[in-house]
Amino acid sequence: MTNHERYQRAFSTLHPSRQWNMEGTEMKQSRKRYLPRAAIVCAAVILVLALAATAYAADIGGIQRTIQIWVHGDQTDATLNVEAGEYSLTYTDENGVEHEEFGGGKAFDIFGRERDVTEEEIREQLDMPDVEYLDDGSVWVYYHNQKIEITDKFDDDGVCYVKVADGGKTYYVTVKYENGHCISEDKFVSPKLFN
Amino acid sequence: MRLSTDEAFRRYADRVYASAFSITRDPTDADDATQDTFLRYHTRNDEFESEAHLKAWLLRVAINRAKDLSGSFWRRNTTALEDYMETLEFEAPEDSELFRAVMALPEKYRVVIHLHYYEGYGVEEIAALLGRRPGTVKSQLSRGRMLLKNALQEEWNDDES
Repeated sequence: MTNHERYQRAFSTLHPSRQWNMEGTEMKQSRKRYLPRAAIVCAAVILVLALAATAYAADIGGIQRTIQIWVHGDQTDATLNVEAGEYSLTYTDENGVEHEEFGGGKAFDIFGRERDVTEEEIREQLDMPDVEYLDDGSVWVYYHNQKIEITDKFDDDGVCYVKVADGGKTYYVTVKYENGHCISEDKFVSPKLFN
Repeated sequence: MRLSTDEAFRRYADRVYASAFSITRDPTDADDATQDTFLRYHTRNDEFESEAHLKAWLLRVAINRAKDLSGSFWRRNTTALEDYMETLEFEAPEDSELFRAVMALPEKYRVVIHLHYYEGYGVEEIAALLGRRPGTVKSQLSRGRMLLKNALQEEWNDDES
């Protein structure tokens, strides 16, 4: 038996547990918002520094809150639900398509104890720069109303350094091509320190 | 050409899931990447040159999505690899050893090994699919094979093209 045959036999045991279900997909796109692990490490520093920062989100009250978020350079209303460190975020884009994001997580205090992330921390994360790889091969960094194409800006090691600033805040984004990114308020984080 | 989403899922869901799993090593995240991939396919109306083109597109989307997931702080559900492996039905004991050895590889080798041995892609095709240089893929494939050989000894042949 060749290595190819052996490998294919071993991995043919993998099957998705969920079937494709078209119901509800016509007008709703669902996704989680993901951040590199390293980003949250950087963000832990940011959170300490930014606790007193004024959130741009506008509270409506109740369990659900209507906030404003930036989506690919455009500001839009979104409904945010936070419970026990988990959140859901729904908004409708300019094409009338409803998007739903889920997320959540744990944070660690300075003593290493685990706790649920707070709504404040979730909002901070939602407000941070984002990196997107499009199907046409282009790579973009978004921050508030800024859309920066970095497709041709990667160095020979596949790393691109992007500085974005708005409203008194400055972020340094280190992007490793298709291998994560790290965000810091202080300086560009070395690509050797994440992923 | 274009397949209905149902038909595309029927034909390629296992491959999409396996590719995503080769990145995430987590069934929940691989499931999410699979669903997201076919959702993206469903919401686009792109025509494809061939089934090979369609398959490559699906794998590329799944791998990128899986990378997003595997690097995510927001992972809510993680399943221990050993626990998940106990639910898999391997045909032979050496299959689980190979599976475990591949999963122990660093991601950059794991995905290249998977695309080569499971999907049958060559260096140039893998490079195009992952957006890496062919020279990089070639060295990663070579390094991945060496690590597998070290782990599996006589269970892994000295290969091969």
